Amino acid sequence: MINTNISIGQYIPGDSIIHRADPRTKIILSLAFMVIIFMMNSFWTVFELTVFVLMAVIISGVPLKHTLKGLKPLLLIIVFSALLNIFTTKGTPVAETVPLKYITYEGLIMALKLSVRLALIIISGSLLTFTTTPILLTDGIEKLLNPLKVIGVPAHELAMMMSIALRFIPTLLEETDKIMKAQAARGADFDTGNLLQRAKSFVPVLVPLFVSAFRRAEDLATAMESRCYRGGTGRTRLRQLKFTHADIKIVLTVLVFVAALLIQEYMW
Amino acid sequence: MNRPNVRMLAEAGMTLALAVILSEFVKLFKMPMGGSVTLGGMVPLFLFAFRWGGKKGMLVGAVFGILDLLIGGFYSMHPISIILDYPLAFAVLGLAGFFKKSTIGHIGGIFTGIFARFICHVASGVLFYASNASEGQAPLVYSIVYNGPYLGLELLITLILALIILKFVKMPEQKSATKA
Repeated sequence: MINTNISIGQYIPGDSIIHRADPRTKIILSLAFMVIIFMMNSFWTVFELTVFVLMAVIISGVPLKHTLKGLKPLLLIIVFSALLNIFTTKGTPVAETVPLKYITYEGLIMALKLSVRLALIIISGSLLTFTTTPILLTDGIEKLLNPLKVIGVPAHELAMMMSIALRFIPTLLEETDKIMKAQAARGADFDTGNLLQRAKSFVPVLVPLFVSAFRRAEDLATAMESRCYRGGTGRTRLRQLKFTHADIKIVLTVLVFVAALLIQEYMW
Repeated sequence: MNRPNVRMLAEAGMTLALAVILSEFVKLFKMPMGGSVTLGGMVPLFLFAFRWGGKKGMLVGAVFGILDLLIGGFYSMHPISIILDYPLAFAVLGLAGFFKKSTIGHIGGIFTGIFARFICHVASGVLFYASNASEGQAPLVYSIVYNGPYLGLELLITLILALIILKFVKMPEQKSATKA
């Protein structure tokens, strides 16, 4: 059966300066950071980036082990592209004997740099979801997309859909579990057979699940309308996003660091 | 007055919740670097697109991409591939909503949607390999070989499940409860 006792998303509660920062700050900085990581090519800048990202992880209070666990699914792609680089980059061979003849120093360095950069991108992206609840992220995304309303991006509708989804994932998950148990009690078998047989055995779960989800949507729409919900304009909020000292400190630190990196990479 | 259709918003929310549950919590088989065969994780998105049309279907797809990124974790390897692999890959599923509302239209829609998603993932893979690994035709081949099989299986499962549900689940009327 499904484990219903899970927290939605990747959030790890904490009270670090990174946790306290505004979601908008964090979203923009992590996007900018990904681009910066891609622009860095020299050994030293990549090394400094590594130190910086690791320090950010330590400050955030997210266990390092947990962060590294997030890299696991990528291990294969990192190893694969590292191998490709080792064997395809032309340059000075490591040695003259046959197996080592195809490996070049340049290839090894390329592979190392590539792997480290990939890992850094994943870690700095994960840091955003580790330190921000999905609801705050949704608020942040709505605020950031607001200016795009002019060109027709439905920022409020988008955020509303996300909030409804986040609110109802636990409810529907519990329902899925209940239906699965009910069908199992009637003799349904979800775990044997090939992929297609298993998919077909899931139909008796999906049908009631969809029916109940549609019913819930109907109730929710009625509830929203009877409370006079009328979209984004003029709506007030309980939780207000505010930029604080934490944001100023973080933005300044990152700006200074990135400026130093860019100078090192392009002017030296 | 540009009032949002509350009914549509509520259904979109439930669709997204179902899609997240079916693709994040009930997995048949997971690929090592993102991408997995789910028990019809895309079915709710297709149903929504068939009910509310292509444009709204694409919006909900894009929102699903963002939710998937926030909930499922972050596995992108190139700044542009974040967009290609998440919002865009799922937004194109909404293309199905532009097809006729018949069994043939549904099959064509699902096929088109998933094929467009396949193109997004392949493009993202090519971008990654081309900027990091080797030259020539190789990036395209790797990317197709990686994305092809699991999306093919997913297509088969989605087709079966979506057609069964479309046949057996009676959809409620699309009107808002009260019209002001």
